[in-house]
Amino acid sequence: MLHRITTLFAEAKDLNTHRIHNREFTLEVAYIGSLVDESKVSDYILVPFTKEEQSFKTILETNPSFKKIEDPARWAGNLLRGFVLVKLENAIYMLDAARVIRNQNPIAEVESSVQGPQTALSEDLIDSMNLIRSRYPSAELKIEEGTVGTLSMTRMLLLYDQRRVDPTLLANIRNRLKEVTHEMIGAVGELEKELSSPRRALFPTMIITERPDRVARALSQGKLVLLLHGSMFALILPANFFDFMHAMEDKYESLWMTNFLIALRYLSILLTTTLPALYISVVSYNPELFRVQLAFSIAGSRSAVPYPSFIEVFLMLFLIEALIEASARLPRYVGSTATTVGGLILGQAAQQAGLVSSIMIIVTSVVAISNFVVPIASMSYAIRFLKYPLIVLSIFFGIMGVAFGLFIYIVYLCQLRSFGKPYFRFLGNITKKEGDIGQVNAR
Amino acid sequence: MRRFCTACVAFIMLSLLMQGCGFKDIDKRFFVVAAGIDRTSNADKPYRITLRLAIPSPKAEPGASKSQLESIDTATIAEGVRLLKGHVDKEIDFGHCKVIVLGESLVQSDYVEALTWMIRRRDIQSIATVAVGKPSAEDVMNANPPSERYPGNSLFLSFGTEGTDSPFTLQMFLFDLERRYTERGLDPFLPVIKRDHMTYMISKVAFLDKQKVKLTLSNEETQMYNQLSTQFKKSSIMATYKGKPIVALLTGIHRSYRIIEQNGQAVIRMKVRLRCILEQAPRGLYNSDWRQIEKAFSDQYSTKAETMLDKIRNTGVDPFGFGLRYRAMHRGSDATWNRWVKLYPNAKFEVRTSVKIDGTGLIK
Repeated sequence: MLHRITTLFAEAKDLNTHRIHNREFTLEVAYIGSLVDESKVSDYILVPFTKEEQSFKTILETNPSFKKIEDPARWAGNLLRGFVLVKLENAIYMLDAARVIRNQNPIAEVESSVQGPQTALSEDLIDSMNLIRSRYPSAELKIEEGTVGTLSMTRMLLLYDQRRVDPTLLANIRNRLKEVTHEMIGAVGELEKELSSPRRALFPTMIITERPDRVARALSQGKLVLLLHGSMFALILPANFFDFMHAMEDKYESLWMTNFLIALRYLSILLTTTLPALYISVVSYNPELFRVQLAFSIAGSRSAVPYPSFIEVFLMLFLIEALIEASARLPRYVGSTATTVGGLILGQAAQQAGLVSSIMIIVTSVVAISNFVVPIASMSYAIRFLKYPLIVLSIFFGIMGVAFGLFIYIVYLCQLRSFGKPYFRFLGNITKKEGDIGQVNAR
Repeated sequence: MRRFCTACVAFIMLSLLMQGCGFKDIDKRFFVVAAGIDRTSNADKPYRITLRLAIPSPKAEPGASKSQLESIDTATIAEGVRLLKGHVDKEIDFGHCKVIVLGESLVQSDYVEALTWMIRRRDIQSIATVAVGKPSAEDVMNANPPSERYPGNSLFLSFGTEGTDSPFTLQMFLFDLERRYTERGLDPFLPVIKRDHMTYMISKVAFLDKQKVKLTLSNEETQMYNQLSTQFKKSSIMATYKGKPIVALLTGIHRSYRIIEQNGQAVIRMKVRLRCILEQAPRGLYNSDWRQIEKAFSDQYSTKAETMLDKIRNTGVDPFGFGLRYRAMHRGSDATWNRWVKLYPNAKFEVRTSVKIDGTGLIK
């Protein structure tokens, strides 16, 4: 066996192959040192083999941790996933001794909450499953294992409540998973792009979350959850537009304030998509829409600006987008530089230099701030883009263009489906019993 | 992909052609804050147009407003405005023209042409206020109140409920003027603006028929008209009681009327219910019998109201809309209207007022 394994692998220093003897047997052991917990190897194999308190053959046959492996074609794959291969008298067994480097007890940072659970999913599947199982202690929870990525062979778990899930949805997603032909799948975001249809959708149709409580709730609603090894995020599908607007915190805090906050989020996304376009169209096409005071003060502060309003808008939006991107990409130690410098420019200097009007600074900051009110980051990203088509429309067609663009967005949202489920339906004949979003069998 | 690129390039090139159509930045526009239209004695150029153009400034401080006055004599209003464009460096925009002053000379001859122009012109908002300028619109335009924060502010605030709430200031919107001009049985009225050195004085109302002004009321009558027609509450009533004047502030007003035909004569029975608090009165009224005071108020109010209504009727205008009410209650044919035309000049008004005093304004 050892000979065959060494020929299978490219020359690698961390491939360990041993042949050891005791009085009874000759044992062949093969594993990849960097993937394996060495103490496990010695505790389970080397020590019992050399001590000979019990016949090692019986150990292999009785201990369920050792699994018999018949097909030599699976050797390489298992070794690469952190298994130890053991050969004893022509029988080959494998033992899972994988050592996974992962973040320890991660705190939810992307979707933080004040009074909700603070832990996030782990980058290791077993830890994540632990968190989910403890939140969803149901015998109906079914877990299917698989891999995605032809080269990365990333381990993936598909979770659902077998009584509540919609079977057509399940069949659908299994087919889709088979069709993923990418070589490398590194994070759930990548998987989401592969699974979603249409490929170039403007809005995400699956929720990416790191919160185990959100995962558990999704399972209870009959949704499917995909976990990927090495990514601390789960993919929940299907999802509708309103799920993205909903933070888990909303369930934990006082009713009226959370209702108000939800309304505020919808207002915010409306503002962040339309405000720059409205600024252009009102300033350049319909200034009578302002109150007189505002019209005069905008006209006054714009009189120093040499460019038409849309150049001003593009300038400021470029600055703010670059600033956001820079603060996301910069290492944490230099991160504050970007915000300080950017804040100075956006705050005062741009206006004093006569490049933009003072109202434009307010517009820019409203656009930036209200964009981050959306609880799910992928939706926040999607919405960040929406303002640009509207700006183009507003340059040429004014307020009519903006209204038309918004109408197109709404039509688009309405025709969008998330795995066959309507994405933007909030009116209509949905009874609790029938369910709507993947909760066909839900009570 | 190639087709997509071609489409993109085509779109950009086409849109470059479209630019400039309606796109004009706010700082490249000259906002008209008030417009005045007068009639001149010159037959070739019968209109004089005066525009107050705002000079915008980023700071809004009391007294910091700056504006520019442009005036021109023309044959037609529309041509005049177009000619005025040659006098200024930016595009003239009527979008914020909230007050349009018609000169007394204009409303005394024929205001219809001016009204039609205002309605037709798309950038004049229908919620603009129309008023009569005395002695001329140009004179009113010349006033430059020192307290203004931004150009035209004083005029905007004088009307409506945002600034001062004077019972003597009635507001006539452009859309309402148009409606009253076209409606049978409802005639327009306009507030009268007079220049008082650097400020405005708006305390009278003028009644117009479908062509020109017919009657201007006095200050006191204007207030009463405001109470009776719009049930305006922030106003006062006056009466003499035992030889001394008493003034009371209204806290509630309710007016209703019916039109009855008796022996071929129209009788308009108006019921007015007023609640008030005494504002200026002799001391020691608290313990006297309030019913006496209420009766004095009621009787005197009824007499005054009847006099005012008679006065309006005698000039043949109908700003209350009695004719509209009559048409609404009868068959909608021309015969009804012709009948009302005969009835109205001899119509009789019976006003019954009941005044209720809520308090003396003092704690005993």
